Amino acid sequence: MSDPSYLLVLIPLLPLVSAVLTGLFGPRFLRGLSHLPTWAAAIGSCLITVLLLNGLLLTNDPSGRPIFGVDIFTWFRVLSRSPLGGPFNVSFSFEADTLSLAMLLAITFVGSWIAIYTAGYMRGEPGYPRYFAVMSLFLFSMTGLVLANNFLVLYAFWEGVGLCSYLLVGFWFHKPAAAAAARKAFLVTRLGDAGLILGIMLLWAKFGHSFDFQSVFTVARQEPSSPYLLPACLLLFCGAIGKSAQFPLHVWLPDAMEGPTPASALIHAATMVTAGVYLLARCTPLFVLVPEAQLVVAVIGGLTALLAALIALTQTDLKRVLAYSTVSQLGFMFLGLGAGLRHEAIAVFAVSAAIFHLFTHAFFKALLFLGAGSVMHAMGHIIDMRRFSGLRRVMPITHFSFACGALALAGLIPFSGFWSKDQILEALELATQHSESYGPIYHGLFAVAVFTAGLTAFYTFRAYFKTFWGETRVPEEALLHHGNGHSDGHDDDSGHGHHHADLHFTHDQAPVSIVPPEGRSFESPPVMTIPLIILAGGSVLVGLVLEATTHWFSGLLAVSMAFQTIQPPYPEHHLNWVLIGLSTASALFGIGVAAYLYLVRPDIPVKLATNLRWAYDLSYHRFRFDELYTALVVRPLEGLAVLSRFFDSVIDGIVNLIGWTPRAFGVLLRPIQNGLVQYYGLFMMVFLTALIAVVVLWGRQ
Amino acid sequence: MNTASFLIVGAALFSLGAIGFLVRRNLILMFLSAELMLQGVALNFVAFSRQHGDLSGQVFVLFIIAVAAAEAALALAMILMLYRRRGTLDVSVWQDLREPGVEMIVDLDEPKLDTTPDVDLPRLPPAGVVPAHREASRV
Amino acid sequence: MSFTAVALAYEAFPWRVAIPLGVAACSLYVLLPKPRHRPVFLGSLTGILSVIAIGVVLHRQESAPWPEQLLFYIFSGLAIVGAAVMLTQRKPARAAISFALVISNVCGLFLLLGAPFLMAATLIVYAGAIIVTFLFVLMLAQQQGFSDADDRTREPFLATVASFFLFGLLLWVIERSYPNANSLHELVQLTEEASAQPDVDAMLRTLGNRQMFLSRWQTEAQRWRDWDSTGLESAVINVEEEITPQQPDAALLRTRLRELAEIGQRIEASSRPKNLPAANVAGIGTLLYSRYLLGVEIGGTLLLVATVGAIAITGQGPRRRIG
Repeated sequence: MSDPSYLLVLIPLLPLVSAVLTGLFGPRFLRGLSHLPTWAAAIGSCLITVLLLNGLLLTNDPSGRPIFGVDIFTWFRVLSRSPLGGPFNVSFSFEADTLSLAMLLAITFVGSWIAIYTAGYMRGEPGYPRYFAVMSLFLFSMTGLVLANNFLVLYAFWEGVGLCSYLLVGFWFHKPAAAAAARKAFLVTRLGDAGLILGIMLLWAKFGHSFDFQSVFTVARQEPSSPYLLPACLLLFCGAIGKSAQFPLHVWLPDAMEGPTPASALIHAATMVTAGVYLLARCTPLFVLVPEAQLVVAVIGGLTALLAALIALTQTDLKRVLAYSTVSQLGFMFLGLGAGLRHEAIAVFAVSAAIFHLFTHAFFKALLFLGAGSVMHAMGHIIDMRRFSGLRRVMPITHFSFACGALALAGLIPFSGFWSKDQILEALELATQHSESYGPIYHGLFAVAVFTAGLTAFYTFRAYFKTFWGETRVPEEALLHHGNGHSDGHDDDSGHGHHHADLHFTHDQAPVSIVPPEGRSFESPPVMTIPLIILAGGSVLVGLVLEATTHWFSGLLAVSMAFQTIQPPYPEHHLNWVLIGLSTASALFGIGVAAYLYLVRPDIPVKLATNLRWAYDLSYHRFRFDELYTALVVRPLEGLAVLSRFFDSVIDGIVNLIGWTPRAFGVLLRPIQNGLVQYYGLFMMVFLTALIAVVVLWGRQ
Repeated sequence: MNTASFLIVGAALFSLGAIGFLVRRNLILMFLSAELMLQGVALNFVAFSRQHGDLSGQVFVLFIIAVAAAEAALALAMILMLYRRRGTLDVSVWQDLREPGVEMIVDLDEPKLDTTPDVDLPRLPPAGVVPAHREASRV
Repeated sequence: MSFTAVALAYEAFPWRVAIPLGVAACSLYVLLPKPRHRPVFLGSLTGILSVIAIGVVLHRQESAPWPEQLLFYIFSGLAIVGAAVMLTQRKPARAAISFALVISNVCGLFLLLGAPFLMAATLIVYAGAIIVTFLFVLMLAQQQGFSDADDRTREPFLATVASFFLFGLLLWVIERSYPNANSLHELVQLTEEASAQPDVDAMLRTLGNRQMFLSRWQTEAQRWRDWDSTGLESAVINVEEEITPQQPDAALLRTRLRELAEIGQRIEASSRPKNLPAANVAGIGTLLYSRYLLGVEIGGTLLLVATVGAIAITGQGPRRRIG
C-alpha cells in the first residue's frame, strides 16, 4: 500500500514543479511554449488520479474504508503546552479517500482540458508564461487543499487558491477594472476566511486540541451536545460562504469575470468555488450533530440560488450570466449539503447529491465558459450579447457544445445536470419528511429549488437564443481580429465594461453590428474546439454513465471517510417519478418561455421591461448589493481613512513642532553671537554679576 | 589701616578695569584694562596677606606679575598680527565668528570731532632695513 | 509685597552708599569717549566729588596714625582717579600714561601694606616693562590719522551699570565679611567697665537700658559670627539670663560680663591685621624656595614659553633683508 501512497505526493507536486519551471524559465526560454509544463503536470496528475482510483478500488484499510496517506514533514510542533492549554502540532501530510479522489478527478480532468484550451485562447498574449505559471500554482493549491488531512494545511491551501485567483483575475493588472476586481475578490473571500480560521481554532480548543480531521470528528462524536459545536460549524460555513460566493459575500464572483475566460472557467466554475462545498462535505460528521447549522446552510444556499437566478434574468453580458448561474448552482449544492439532518442515511444521500452536482457542474459550467470564451475570442473580445446574434451559422462547433452545456445546466433528461439536480431535490424532499422541527422550512426550500430550476432553464436559454439564434450579426471588432491572437488591442475588453453603465439599452436600441461577409468562418482553432467537444461529451454522458445506470459515484462516495460515522446499510435509491416529472416540467417550461420570448416574439421582453420597470432595474443592477456594501462598508472605511490621515497630519504637525521648537529657540538666541568679543564679555559680566548676587543675597541663609 | 578699605580699593580697580575692557575698542586699551583688573586682584591678595600675617599672599602676587608679563608679551604679539591683517587696532572689525545670518555691526555715521593728529609719534622701521640717509652715504 | 515689607527693604538698603555710587556711575558714563561733545569739566568734577563722598561714607575710625591714613587716601584716590582717566581718554598713548599713574599709586598701597618687595617688583615690571612695551606696540601699530574707533565705545551704558552693580555687591560683601570693629570695641569697653563696678546697681546703671545692651550684643554676635565667635552667642545668652530678673546675683553677673568682655576682645583682636615679618624679601624668598618651589619652576617655564611664543608669532622670516 505504500507505493500508491507515494504517488499521492506527485499529484500536487507535478503542478508545483511546473509552476516553478514556468515561472523561472518561461519568459526567457519557453515563451510561446510555456504551456507545455502545465499540460504535462495537469495530464500527469489526471493519470495518477485514475491510477489511484483503480488502486483504491482494489485495496481497503482496516476499518473497511479505502484510504491512502503519506506524511511529508512536521510543519510545526509547539513543545511547551502550558500557555496554550494543549498540544499544538501540525504535520504536513496528504491523505486521499474517495471523496478526495472524486474531487481530484474533476479538478485534474477538467483542468487538463482547460489548460489545452488556454494555449489557444491566450496565444500571443504578453503575459503568456505568467498565466501558465499561476495556473500551475493554482492546480497545486487546489489539489493540496483536497488532499489535506488536517484543518491547518487545508487552510494554507485555501489561502493559496485565493492568491491564485487574485493573480489570475488581475492578470491584466494595468486595467483598473481588473485590478479592482481582483482586490475585491481577495478581500471579500478574506472576510469568509476570518470566520474559517476562527472555526478551526475553536475546534482545536474545544475538541481535543488537534487539527487532524479524524481526531476532531472522533472527539466531537463523543460530545454531541457540546455548545461549541454549533458556533464552530457556523464559522466553518462562514469560510465556505466567502469562498463559494454565497449570499452575502457573493459580490466578488461576477466582477471576477474581468479576468481571462479560461481562468473563469477553471476557478470560478469548476474548482475554486467548490472548495467551500468540499469543506462542508468533509466536515459532515460535525454537521450531522447540529441540524440547526445544516438548516442555516440550506437556507442561505436556497436564498443565494434564487437571488442569483433573478439577477441573471436581465444581464446582457454573457459571462456575467454564466457567473450568476455559477452562484446559483453553488446555492443548489449548499441546499443539498444542508438537507442532511440528523439522519445519517439521509446525510449520506444528501451530501453525495451535493458532491455529484459539483462534479457534473464542473463539466458543464467549464464547457459553457469555454464556449463563451470561444465566442469572445471570435467576436474581437466583445461579450455583450446585444452586439452579436445568430452565431450558429458561423461557429457550428461552439454552438453545438454550448447547446450541450446549456441543456445540462437547464437540467433536461438525460443530460448530466438533470441527474444531479434531481438528487438534490430528492434530498430536500426527504428532509421535509424526516426533519424533526424544520419540515416546513425544507418544504419551502424545495419549492424555491424547483422555481429556481425553472428560472435557470429560462435564463440559460435566453442567453443561448440571443447568442446563437436570430439574424447573424457580428460586431465590427470581430472582423479586425481574424481570431488570430490578442497581440493588438487587448486592453479594452470593452464588452465587459459596458455593464457598469447606468444607461440600459432597451432591446431595440443596439450599437453597431454588421452582417458578416458570406462564407466567413469565425470558428476557433482546433486546440480550442477539441476541449469543447470533450467536455460536451462529458456533460452529456457523465450523469448517465457514472450515476444513473451504475451508481458508481454514490457508491464511491459512500465509502468515503467523511461518512465513517454512518454505518451501512445505505438507503435504497428509487427513481422518484413524481420528482423527475416535476423537474423536467419546470425545465421544459423555462426553455419554452425563453424560446417564445426570444425567438418568436422579441417585442414582449421589451414591453415587460418597460412595464415592470422596477423589477427590471432591481434585477439589472444586481439588487443594488454593490451599492449597499459601498455605502455600509467602503464609505465608512474611506471616512476613517480620511480621519486617520487628518489625525496623522496632526501627529506630524506635533512632531514637526517639536522639531521646530529648538530651531526657533536657536533663531531667537543666534543674534547674541554677533562676533564681537566685547558683547560676549558683556554677557559674561552681566550673568556673573547676577550669579554672585544670587549666591550672596540668598545663598547664605 | 583696616583690611576692608584696601579690599574696597581693589574692588574699585577691578570694576573700573571691567568697564574699560568692555567699553574701549582699541585692542591695546582693552588689554590695558585687563591689566588694571589684575592689579586690583593683586591688591586684594596683599591685603589678605597682611590680615592673616602670611606671606603667601605676596608670593601669589609675584606669580600674578610673572603671568601678567607673559600674557602681555603674547597678547601684544598677537595684537600686532591682527593689526597687520586689517590695518587697524579696532576690535570691531573682527566679527567673522558671528552666526551665519547675523549681520555685521557697522558704526552709524556720527559727526567726527577732530581728525587731525596733534603729534606724529615716531615710527620704527622693520629691523634689518638700512635707513635711507645711510644708504645714500654708502656710495 | 506689603507696605511694611517695602518699608523694611527701604530701611535696610544702604542709601548712603548707593547714591554717591550712582552719581559716580553717571559721571563715568558721561565721560566715556563719544564722537559728540562731552562735558569734561562738569563730569570730572562730579566724579571726583562722588568719589570723595564714597570715601567719606565708608570711612571707619582707625587706630592707625594719621600719616598712614592720609597716605592711604591719597594713594587710593589717585589710583581710582587715574583708572577713570585711563578709561575716558581718547588717545591711546595718554591712556597708557595714566595707567602708569595707577600702577604707581597701587605700589604705594603695597608699601602701606608692608610689601616693599612687591612694590619694587610691580613698579619695575609694570611701569617699566609692560607699559613701555605697550607704547612700542602703539607706535608700531600706528594708524594714519586719528582712528574713529578710539572715539567710540561699545555698549557703555550696560557695561557701566553691570560693573557698578558688581562693585556695589562687592562692597556689601566686604562690609559683611569685615565689619567695623569700632562698635564692638565700644561695647566691650562698656561691658568691662560694668563688670568692674562694685555692686549690682552700679553695674546696671553703667549698662544703662538692659534691653538695648542685650540687643546691641546680639547684633554684634550676628555681625561677627564668622570671626572666631565660639561661645559668643552662648555668653550673650548667659548674660541675658543673669540680667533679666529683677535682682540679679552680683557675683554671677560679674563673671558673665567678664566672660563676654573677654570673648569680645578676642574677636576684636583677631579682626585686626597681623604683623608681617620685617625681613620681607627674605621671607618671600624662603617661601618661594620651600613651599612654592614647583610654582617657581613652572612660572619660569611659562615665561620661557611666552618668550618663544612671542618671537614665533611675530617672526618676520622672508621679509628680513640683510643689507
